[in-house]
Amino acid sequence: MSTTRLQEVLICFGKQKQTDIATANTGSQMWRFGKLNAALANPKLNTENDAEEFGKGHEFPTQSFQTSWDVSGTLEKYLGAEIAAWAMAFGLGKVVKSGAAPNFTYTCTPLMPANGDAAELPYFSFVEQIRPGAGVVLDRMAVGCVIESWTITLGSGPGRTNSRIAIEFAGSGKFTEPSGIVMPAATLEKLLPSASLALSIDGVDYVSNKNIVSLETGWKNNVRMDAGFYPGSGFQTAGDATSGAIRGRLEFGNRQGTLRFTARFESGSTELTKLKNQTTGTAVISLTYDANNSLEITWHKVSFATAEVGETDGIVTVAVECLPMFDATNGIVSAVAKCGVDSICQ
Amino acid sequence: MSERNTVWLRPPWGEGEPKEFDPRPDVLVPLLVAGWSQCEPPEVTEDVHD
Repeated sequence: MSTTRLQEVLICFGKQKQTDIATANTGSQMWRFGKLNAALANPKLNTENDAEEFGKGHEFPTQSFQTSWDVSGTLEKYLGAEIAAWAMAFGLGKVVKSGAAPNFTYTCTPLMPANGDAAELPYFSFVEQIRPGAGVVLDRMAVGCVIESWTITLGSGPGRTNSRIAIEFAGSGKFTEPSGIVMPAATLEKLLPSASLALSIDGVDYVSNKNIVSLETGWKNNVRMDAGFYPGSGFQTAGDATSGAIRGRLEFGNRQGTLRFTARFESGSTELTKLKNQTTGTAVISLTYDANNSLEITWHKVSFATAEVGETDGIVTVAVECLPMFDATNGIVSAVAKCGVDSICQ
Repeated sequence: MSERNTVWLRPPWGEGEPKEFDPRPDVLVPLLVAGWSQCEPPEVTEDVHD
């Protein structure tokens, strides 16, 4: 009997958005990537039973019921132009595509319900397969997924591991097994290495002064998972009320942006002064593969929430936690992602 | 997106006519925050004279 090793797992997911939460992406709308983490996006069935009900003569359960389904997963990758564009577009939710091959530009911002935008994020389908076909081990598709969060981490050092992205996603609970998807060819990725960083925070160019040590920035949608269930939200098997409820919407909750960094601290460093004065400014983080493949994230108004002097490998450093704030004109954050792939989140 | 590498956006709440913009971030970001959204270019109808 053959052993199944996790290196065989193949994943693909919607490059384009679904038309609605319940309509899965087609194979031609998907793209395939490798990943770094072993975790699978397992559908989880929640059940309940009749133990609490009176009339049975005892306190023990006699029946169990399928209540609902959850699907969630994490995607960890070296940061590339393509996955960056996808994460920004689906994670922030609002995107404008411009340009033409090989230079498509995706300008992404968070959705603003107060100005007429939806509170539902764009949906995608997520497929996992291990030996699909006659000798199938795993072949399933989670339908109606949204990005819960993305986190980009940049470190010091030459390897790919110093520029990574972690993407958490959550699904409606609906899944299809077998997926019916023919796995597309692997996407050719243009890596955005840490060594390409350009970084300006609150008026300081941390790359030209050679002081940046590490940086982490992220976005969390705090999706209202429970609110996805409402009267009429539907079932795993349409028309079968015993198959477990699924969500009919996935709306973001109170969203949060994060930006923290560690930099060398020396005479003239301004972090502690800016903390005391609560100085505000922009933070611009840029990573580049070439003229056609890059990512630029702008936090439009940040102040320093904490700044603590410490050390990194024996060098005096300052660890700064920024507070991203809403700018009346430009909002809280925007991302301009360039890559050679068309139709991302379209 | 149009052939001239401009983009068309519709106003907040879908009220009003779409407009064409230069796709620079400094132009687009304030519009997106204000509720403008990308849309297809309006169809051009040619005048036909006998």
